[in-house]
Amino acid sequence: MEGLTEMTNWAVDLIDVRKTYGRTVEALRGVNIQVGRGEIFGLLGPNGAGKSTLVKIMMTVVRPTHALGTLLGRPLGHRGKLERTGYLPENHRFPHYLTGAQVLDYYGALGKVPRTRRRAKAKELLDRVWLTQWADTKVDKYSKGMLQRLGIAQALMNDPELIVLDEPTDGLDPVGRRDVRELLIELKNMGATVFLNSHMLSELEMVCDRVAILVQGLVARQGRLAQLTERAIEYRITAAKDLADAHSKLAVLGASVDGRTVRLAGDELGKVNEAIDILRERGIPIESVEPQRFSLEDILVEAMGDGAVAPAPIARPAKG
Amino acid sequence: MQFWAVIVDSFRESLDRKIFWVLIALSCLIALVMLSVGFTGDKISFFFGLWETETEFYSPVTQMGPTRLVGAVVYFFLAALLGWIGIVLIIIATAGMFPEMMRLGAIDVVLSKPISRARLFLYKYISGMVFVAVQGAFFVVLTFLVMGLRWGVWRPGYLLSVPLLVLLFSYIFCVSVYVGVKTRSTVAAILLSIGAWALFAVVHQAPQVFETFPSLKEHAAVYHTIRVISWIPPKTGDFDYLAARAAGVGTSLDVVPMPGTGEGGAMTELDRQQLAAARDVEERQLLKDPVASIGSSLLFEAVVVLMAMWSFVRRDY
Ligand SMILES: Nc1ncnc2c1ncn2[C@@H]1O[C@H](COP(=O)(O)OP(=O)(O)OP(=O)(O)O)[C@@H](O)[C@H]1O
Ligand SMILES: [Mg+2]
Repeated sequence: MEGLTEMTNWAVDLIDVRKTYGRTVEALRGVNIQVGRGEIFGLLGPNGAGKSTLVKIMMTVVRPTHALGTLLGRPLGHRGKLERTGYLPENHRFPHYLTGAQVLDYYGALGKVPRTRRRAKAKELLDRVWLTQWADTKVDKYSKGMLQRLGIAQALMNDPELIVLDEPTDGLDPVGRRDVRELLIELKNMGATVFLNSHMLSELEMVCDRVAILVQGLVARQGRLAQLTERAIEYRITAAKDLADAHSKLAVLGASVDGRTVRLAGDELGKVNEAIDILRERGIPIESVEPQRFSLEDILVEAMGDGAVAPAPIARPAKG
Repeated sequence: MQFWAVIVDSFRESLDRKIFWVLIALSCLIALVMLSVGFTGDKISFFFGLWETETEFYSPVTQMGPTRLVGAVVYFFLAALLGWIGIVLIIIATAGMFPEMMRLGAIDVVLSKPISRARLFLYKYISGMVFVAVQGAFFVVLTFLVMGLRWGVWRPGYLLSVPLLVLLFSYIFCVSVYVGVKTRSTVAAILLSIGAWALFAVVHQAPQVFETFPSLKEHAAVYHTIRVISWIPPKTGDFDYLAARAAGVGTSLDVVPMPGTGEGGAMTELDRQQLAAARDVEERQLLKDPVASIGSSLLFEAVVVLMAMWSFVRRDY
């Protein structure tokens, strides 16, 4: 049993979240995710991995088959904490008969933001997402990008401590995406925690402190972005002269030789050193030894390739 | 605050509907028609005095005239136009409320707010009444004022038609909401709720058929079963009589001149008998206990609403 103080350290602490739709669709099969306060957390995964389902469970939109854990230090579904949370669902649609300003006011009121505060906040946010001129236009006249920006503004009406965004850059052009990234960093600097779903890998790489990779309803990888990408995918040794002499010896190691370059797949330093020894024995000068690091995309592809992903242990990553 | 947010949102949804304005226009038209009728002494004039004729029957200066006038408005405008066509139009206009709110991407934001699903459901249900309350109040108050200012007939009891209209609507709306929540389909909600309304009317009328044909009454077991069953559905058919009773206007046969089939429109003995029998049926309706009628209907409504709410609360979105 964790102490209460420790529980409250996480902005999001999900333990063994399971969801079976109907009798057969196992969307989530025991998910454990921890998000520290003040960080930007990215949930990554292929289509149908269960990302939206997880977020909907956090936001009480979907009822979990089984779930433990806390949101802002209180059990999932705690009203007071929902009041402190902002949410942008994927493919959101707002009532077509409302104007942009009315949308913000309506959802703000449902989020228990006092009236005078709503007025001021709506004005400020519309300005922040460049919709001031459109404030009194019905949302059925909005473009997809404008709707997405309004959706993000809606999620911020209550000055949330935790912001949950499902595909926030969906439908935005590159400039719009950059704006969202900047906004996220701004929110983080103001002390908020951001939890976002995305399949735009490059985006996550740019802003996220930590990521989890969800595959078929299980967390396949989780950790600081730097930590996940620190493993090498292969080592490249470049020699100063031709390698014909060492060819057969290197092949035994499993290395592939191409002109003056030796490539060693995997992340085994021992083999790298053996290869270096082979070269030195033959008096071949070494120009460079370079590890090729994983990109987020490589990690995702690798995680998906694992096929039957084992349930991740309920390990709590050190918070940093 | 959340309650008002839902009410205001639903009201905005109403204002966005064409049907809302069509109904307002219809009410204005009816009020205008009534306004064009005037009385001077025992003369009645139509089209703002364009055509004039003598009337003893409706003249407001006679003892029965005012009651008959209000009765004509209750039976022919309120009950027949608003109580039928108006309600059908309002059912059509409001059937989409729940399916619309429950659309994917729309319901998500709402459910993520600090409000319980049951509360949200109830707020939305209540706000469904806003449409009919606004329309009903507009029509009733407008015609009330025309009767008072133009004809000098003030009948405060007539104003009770507004809550009665809301009740009548709610009996059908609960079915519409149930179907809407279950199927998320506006069309299904419209068709099934109007179908249910027809069914209520049939079931409600069934015992009367027995009463009109005394020979059928011999099948006592069947008669009693039907009476018990007829008690279950909401008493939508009582609306006319509840409104008439509130306005104190008697049966629908009292509010129009009844020409006989005899020479020169004279009443024959047969006419008199038939009229008396018909009046007897209506009078029995008028004497029904309003509390029992409304209470049993609300009981039915409560059960349907609870079932709809249960479904709304339990499902995944
Ligand atoms: N309401 C539902 N009823 C039944 N099955 C569902 C429901 N919602 C989602 N699923 C199923 O659950 C699985 C996970 O879906 P989910 O939407 O969570 O995935 P996702 O990771 O968000 O995918 P995407 O990247 O396409 O948004 C899918 O197989 C989906 O078909
Ligand atoms: Mg999704």
